[in-house]
Amino acid sequence: MDDHGPGLEPDLDEGSIVARAQDGDLAAFEHLVLTYQSRLFRLAYRMLNDRGDAEDIVQETLTTSWRALPMLADVDAFGGWIYRLATNKSLDLLRKRSAHAEDIIDSDDMDTMPGARACAVSARWDPAHEAEWSAEQNGLTALLSTLPPAQRACWLLREMHGRSYAEIGVTLKISPTAVRGTLARARHQIAEGMSQWR
Amino acid sequence: MAIDDIPRLGCGRSIDRIWATIDRPPTAHEEKCGQCQTARTQLRGLSEATRSLRESDLHNPALKPRPGVKNAIMDVARAEVRQGSRILLRSADTGITEISEQALSSLIRSAAAAIPGVHPRRCRIEIRAAAASLAGEDHPAGTTVMATDAGPRLIVNLRVAAAPGIVIPLAAEALRHEISSAIPAGVGIGAGTVNIIVEDLYDV
Amino acid sequence: MSDEPLQGSIITSQLIASLASRTTLETPGVLRLEPTIQGFLARLGPSLQHLRNPGSQDSTFRHDGVTATISGATARVHLDIATDIAYTALDVAEAVQRRVQESISHTGLTPGAVDVTILAIEHRRGTANM
Repeated sequence: MDDHGPGLEPDLDEGSIVARAQDGDLAAFEHLVLTYQSRLFRLAYRMLNDRGDAEDIVQETLTTSWRALPMLADVDAFGGWIYRLATNKSLDLLRKRSAHAEDIIDSDDMDTMPGARACAVSARWDPAHEAEWSAEQNGLTALLSTLPPAQRACWLLREMHGRSYAEIGVTLKISPTAVRGTLARARHQIAEGMSQWR
Repeated sequence: MAIDDIPRLGCGRSIDRIWATIDRPPTAHEEKCGQCQTARTQLRGLSEATRSLRESDLHNPALKPRPGVKNAIMDVARAEVRQGSRILLRSADTGITEISEQALSSLIRSAAAAIPGVHPRRCRIEIRAAAASLAGEDHPAGTTVMATDAGPRLIVNLRVAAAPGIVIPLAAEALRHEISSAIPAGVGIGAGTVNIIVEDLYDV
Repeated sequence: MSDEPLQGSIITSQLIASLASRTTLETPGVLRLEPTIQGFLARLGPSLQHLRNPGSQDSTFRHDGVTATISGATARVHLDIATDIAYTALDVAEAVQRRVQESISHTGLTPGAVDVTILAIEHRRGTANM
């Protein structure tokens, strides 16, 4: 299958493709867009639970990457870098959303009703799509939405995208040890929540 | 709670440790400890749900951006394309002719792609003033200099990644040969000096 | 954009640009004209161009890959092109310069410099790509 986009040799390694994109090669950059856009979309969608917002994150991240590519020192670090950009843009958007939410909802209500955040988020889901899902996955994604944003990002990067502790640590500006702790707490909270549903 | 504080069960076991061993048989402690058994069951359920969510998200056609997203990204990239500096090829009464560094470097990479076992990477092109002397300048071993009267005198610095096991001097020589004939053929000027820098090995 | 005729002439820079564009695309070895960020800015509106070139008496028209300027009785053209790798780019550029000057002279204006920038050298592709 030719998924290398137009104009690239078939067996090119990613480092070489990144180097070409750094030199302004559009075909090389298009290949990177095709490689990463769905991964970044899945990450942003699970962070934000909104298709439009997730698409915005993908578009902003990859556009930023085109502009900043020449500054990337290590061509083999592209994957980690692009995940970091998308994660931080998603976290920024969540911060903006919650600042906005506090303007209209009394923040005391949010604190006293732990489920409120999950419900508010659930309302944004596409029901036709979600209906096809097993109850278990629905439960997992709903619980995921109740995690604090940084914890959710940590869990998604590790469990859904297989990124390394070191890379996640750099992204979230915490130590790899702290990544371990954050992950453990995320798993614990989700597992507890799942058992209450049964 | 400190950020790296790992939650522990009442019996003192960390969630992290139980998670790491859920696929193994329970330890003697875990067999006796009710809290550990509950945690193991819960985490095993989470592990399965995680795997199944990962698989279904990966193959869910709805979890992809619309084609318009890629188009919008590429439109911006095209509009802001980095052409590098312009290299003057010829100045005549009819007008001047220039080439962008980007066009020249992609021609060079495309020529280099003909050599098996090397992947061309970044390419920098410098212009040497016509009168500059080669003497006293530091050049990597094996530098080829092609004298030419027409056009600018180029210094091509091409970085490549090589396949493990490739004979680097042979590959570098073949690369220089390809590039040195591709530039006159494609552009119409001499190739000048072609420096090959092997910066990395790639996995095959 | 300049729809205003200059100095009694009916030849606009837009016409010169479109002539130059057609002549260029008909020259063997030219793959396409390359739009650039400058052309993109020009399309945003004439006001931007005036800001970039205040007080100029020249009439300039920019479109994807072509800039045509008429000053006095002379027309100058700048072209951003992509050429076919099967051709030698300098030869293609020379042919473009000659042909564009010729077509300008047919309008009654004096052909000035026709500057060419080669922005890509590529294999000619089928319509499936790009």
